[in-house]
Parts: sequence; C-alpha cells; structure tokens
Amino acid sequence: MASGTSADTGIISRNYKSGSIIYFEGDKSEYIYILKGGRVILTSVKLDTGEEIKEEVRQGEFFGVKSALGKYPREETAQTIGDTIVLVLNLADFEKLVLRNVNVVRKMLRVFSNQLRRIGKMQRSILGGTEEINPDVELFKVGEYYYKNGSVQHAQYAYKKYMEYYPDAQYAKLAMERIKAIAAGQPYPDASPGPSAPPPRRPVEDEDDDSGFDDDSGSRRGDDDFDSFDDEKGGSSSALVDEMDDFVSGDKKSDLQDFTFDDSDLVESLDESEGGLSVKFSKAAALAATSKFGDALKLYQDIMAAGNVKAPQEKKLQEEAQIEAGICQSKMGKMREALETLSGFIKKFPQSENVKKAIYYIAEIFDNAKQSDKAISYYNRVLNMTPKDDFSKKAMNRIKQLQNG
Amino acid sequence: MAMILDDRFFDKFGVEYSPNEIIFCEFEPGNEFYFVQSGKIQLVKLINNREKTIDVLGDGDVLGEMSILEEQPRSATAIAVDHVKLLKFHRDNFDALMQGNPQMAYKLLIIFSKRIYDAKRRLMILLLEEPQLKVMDVLCMLAEEDPHLDLQNELSLQVTPQQVASWAGMAEVDAQKELTHLSRLDKIELYSDKIVVRKIREFQRLVSSRRKKMFS
Repeated sequence: MASGTSADTGIISRNYKSGSIIYFEGDKSEYIYILKGGRVILTSVKLDTGEEIKEEVRQGEFFGVKSALGKYPREETAQTIGDTIVLVLNLADFEKLVLRNVNVVRKMLRVFSNQLRRIGKMQRSILGGTEEINPDVELFKVGEYYYKNGSVQHAQYAYKKYMEYYPDAQYAKLAMERIKAIAAGQPYPDASPGPSAPPPRRPVEDEDDDSGFDDDSGSRRGDDDFDSFDDEKGGSSSALVDEMDDFVSGDKKSDLQDFTFDDSDLVESLDESEGGLSVKFSKAAALAATSKFGDALKLYQDIMAAGNVKAPQEKKLQEEAQIEAGICQSKMGKMREALETLSGFIKKFPQSENVKKAIYYIAEIFDNAKQSDKAISYYNRVLNMTPKDDFSKKAMNRIKQLQNG
Repeated sequence: MAMILDDRFFDKFGVEYSPNEIIFCEFEPGNEFYFVQSGKIQLVKLINNREKTIDVLGDGDVLGEMSILEEQPRSATAIAVDHVKLLKFHRDNFDALMQGNPQMAYKLLIIFSKRIYDAKRRLMILLLEEPQLKVMDVLCMLAEEDPHLDLQNELSLQVTPQQVASWAGMAEVDAQKELTHLSRLDKIELYSDKIVVRKIREFQRLVSSRRKKMFS
C-alpha cells in the first residue's frame, strides 16, 4: 500500500493491491473513503436472514461514511479487486468537503432515509403492526384510541388533522361529531350502536377502488361491490360465476362435473346416529381435517339444509357450515360450486364476521386458478377489512408474492 | 449538542410546545422537520391498540426527518414531555436552509447515521427468539450506548422494566418475569428506576453466540 498527499486539498490517496482489505466488519475508525480507481466490494450480513450481501462501490462514491460519522463499528468489510486507489478522509476533511457541496449531503440523506425506512418496515412487521395501511383510516383510529382512553386533547388533535387533510374521506362526518363531542366535554360514546365502532362491518369499504387493482368492469356495478354477488336462485348469471368462465374452460369443466358423492358410505353411517347439528359439524370438521372433503361437504350441506333451526348457536353453525362447504368444494377442485357457495354466503349473511373469511377463500380460488389480477383484487378486499387478523396477514403475503412474480 | 444559532433564527423558525401537547400525530402527512432546541419529546406508536414509547428525544436531536425528502405519513406521534422549543422547517426550505447553513447539513448526516445504527441495533434485539436473550440484549444495547460506562465492571443502567419491555417488543409482565429470573440468579439487581448488571460482558457473549447460531 502506497500513500500520497495531494498538495491542494491535503487529502491522502492510497494505493491497494488486489484482494487487500481496506477495513474489516467490526473495526472502529473515523476514516471515510472515496473510490478513485479500481474496484471495491463491500460485504455485509443481512440482519434478518444471515445472508451475505456483496455490493460494489461505484467510482467516485463514498464508503465507510455512516460508521465513521456515527462513531460505531464498521458494518461491512471492504475489499479491493484489482489495483485500487482510494482517497482517505478524516472527519474534518469530510466536513470541509461536505460544507462546500451541499448536494452531496442531499444525495446521502436520500440513501440514508431509504435505509431508515426499510429498517422501520422490518421492525413493524416483527412487532406485528400492519404493513399496508390507509393513513386516513389509521389517523382516525389514533383519535379513537385517545378518546377512548380519556386523552381528549390528543384525540382532538388527531380528529382535527383528519378533517384538515381528509375532509371528504370515509370518517369525516364522524370525526366532526367527535370534535364537537369533545368540545362539549362528552365522554367517548361507549358501545353506541352504528358508526361508533370505527370499522363499519361492510364487506368492502368504499376506498377499495383506490387500491389500484383493476377489476373487470363486469364484476363491479355502482358503489356496492357485492351487488355483483347477486344471483338468481339456480341461475348461472352471477357476475362472479361469469368471471370463472375465464379459467374454467373445456376440459377442466368436465373434470369438475365428474365428482359424485357415491363414495360416502362412511358419512351415511356417521350421519343418522347422533342428531345434533354441532355433532355433525364436528364430524364434518374432522373429515375435512383428514382431507376427506367429499364426506365433509355432504355433512356441511346437511347442516345447511336442516330446517326448523331456532337456537342462535345452531344458526351460527349453519352459517359456518356454508363457508366450510365452500372451502371443501374449493379443495375438491369444484371451483364454480365453491364460488357460488361462498358468494351465496356473503349474500345471505352480509353482516357476518365470516364475510372476510369467505372473501379470502374466493381470492384463494382465483389464486389457485392462476388468475392473479382477480386474486389480488379479492385479497385486497380482505386487507381493507377490519379487524386485522390472520386472514389480513395471509392476504398481504399472497399479494406480495403475486406482485413479485 | 444543541445547535448554536442566533436569536433571529429562532424568531423566524422557532415554535414552542407545552407539556403533553402533540407536535405531530402518527399517520398525519408530514411536510416539516424539526430541530430540538430544548425540552424532551416522547415518540409513541399505537401497536396492537396499545400506546408504546419508541424513543425520547432531547436537545440537538432532529425530529420528523423522514419528511425531509418527500411527504410521508408520520411513523410515530411526537408529544412534548416538558416545555419544548423547536426549530421547524418545511421541506421546501430544505435546500435554501442547507445552502445557507451547511453546518446543519453536516449535522443531519451525523444524526441520520446514528439513527440508522440505533434502529438496526434495536432490530437485532427483536430478531432474537428467546425472551431471556432479548432482555439481556436490551441491557447490552443500553450499556454500549453510554461511552462513559466501563463494561468490564458492574454497571448501573437508568432504565425501568417497562422500558426494557418496550425495547424488547415484549409485554411488560413477560419482561418483568425475565428480569426477576435474572435477578434471582444474581446476574442483575432490580430497582424501580435502574438496573445494576454484574457482568455485562457475559450477556454480550451469550447473545452474540446465540446470534451466530441463529442462521446456521
């Protein structure tokens, strides 16, 4: 390694042979480098996966900046390839240089801020916060949180900012009511029916269309998305089912029709002996768990068809049976039937907390059929529904995977 | 390292907040960034519908720096802890500000560098799997942060179990359980406002060997 000092700047330039280490990960040093000639590779380890990352420094680029400025150990090893010349700056040199070239700072700040954002994202995903969010909805929720917890001053701030930035958004009216209520010294309207619970239980929220996922116009009519699930009894004209024609074509169709219930002897024997719906439901669930979807489906359909059901628990079971039946059909490759069962569910029980689950499985059907756009569109609906749960998470993951490839 | 600026500057860009006042709110669009002149600011986030403190800032810190380059929803809520004096700059003024005060540009670079390191360091804690190690690593991080501490000897960290829980991304009861366990083993002594660690080196060794094994 040879060193020389440039007369006008006082900055040292250093020559390295191929394969030299300029610094090691873990070293502490206040030097900052600029690559003048040759090649430098930075090798670091990814925090979350332990994967080794190699990055090449471009000519004229700085390296070793963050650790020198922040006075912490190097996070990467810098090694040369081929004969290499670097300029070596101490902090005072670097400061002088920067003070003369504010544009350099601007560029570095951009890089730094992107890094910070990435780290923040990882942190959020580990802590279980949601990754994809609508800032307006979240801002409103912050207001709700503080109002519920008695921090009215903070709540008022959030609601006012909501009105300032999103005067036409979903919760504007409610935010205005909250602002007035707080000004009047009223406590949070506990358990009041209607809009007080921030997420209105509607299958699909209005801002859905902003998501950027274009759906076929045929499946969307007006402002109520689930018009599209309207289906004349027995008719095959549902828009959703029409969508299915895109991929359930020719040969596949015959596959779907082949299925019969003939092999369900097992079901028959289990069936009549014990009467209650809940017994049937557990049996069906057990069958589905062991991939006996045909048998499970038969039981679920029995539950759905049972008449004279009055007890709320039994009604609930009928509701759940319909979803499970749709899932069974989907597992059996009976896509069209599955879609009809699931969309029928949404139509029949629009207020059910299981609507989200139904939409998730509709998305999955499109997903399995390699209809990514539609899959994404339905996953996205799941994502827009509260509360955030496992389905939101799974939908998020699938959207990411579908979008990446 | 409070910024040395003349009074004219404060007249033009200065803003003041009373205790408990919100400076900005999580998810609010952010177009301004701030330099803290005096006072303490608590940064909190709502995570799983609970308010969690993610940082406390003081003199010389910068606030809302993520909006220097582009409009971004705020990633946390900033609340004044005591009487707070800030310099507030809109993104549009950033270039002019930097041209006129390159010193401030340099300071920003340093602040960002530290911020990134701190954020990574905290992420490393969260990436550990065992709660016991997370708690130990929080103590390691706090010890490393204070350059005046002698890591070879017993040391005292100004931290509450609640803060430890928050750094470790754990529920308070769980963190408390781990701390109590460590204190029964006489590895630490628990006080209401501080934790005395007998041998921080031992914690560092344990954590780093586990970290190496994590991916192998």
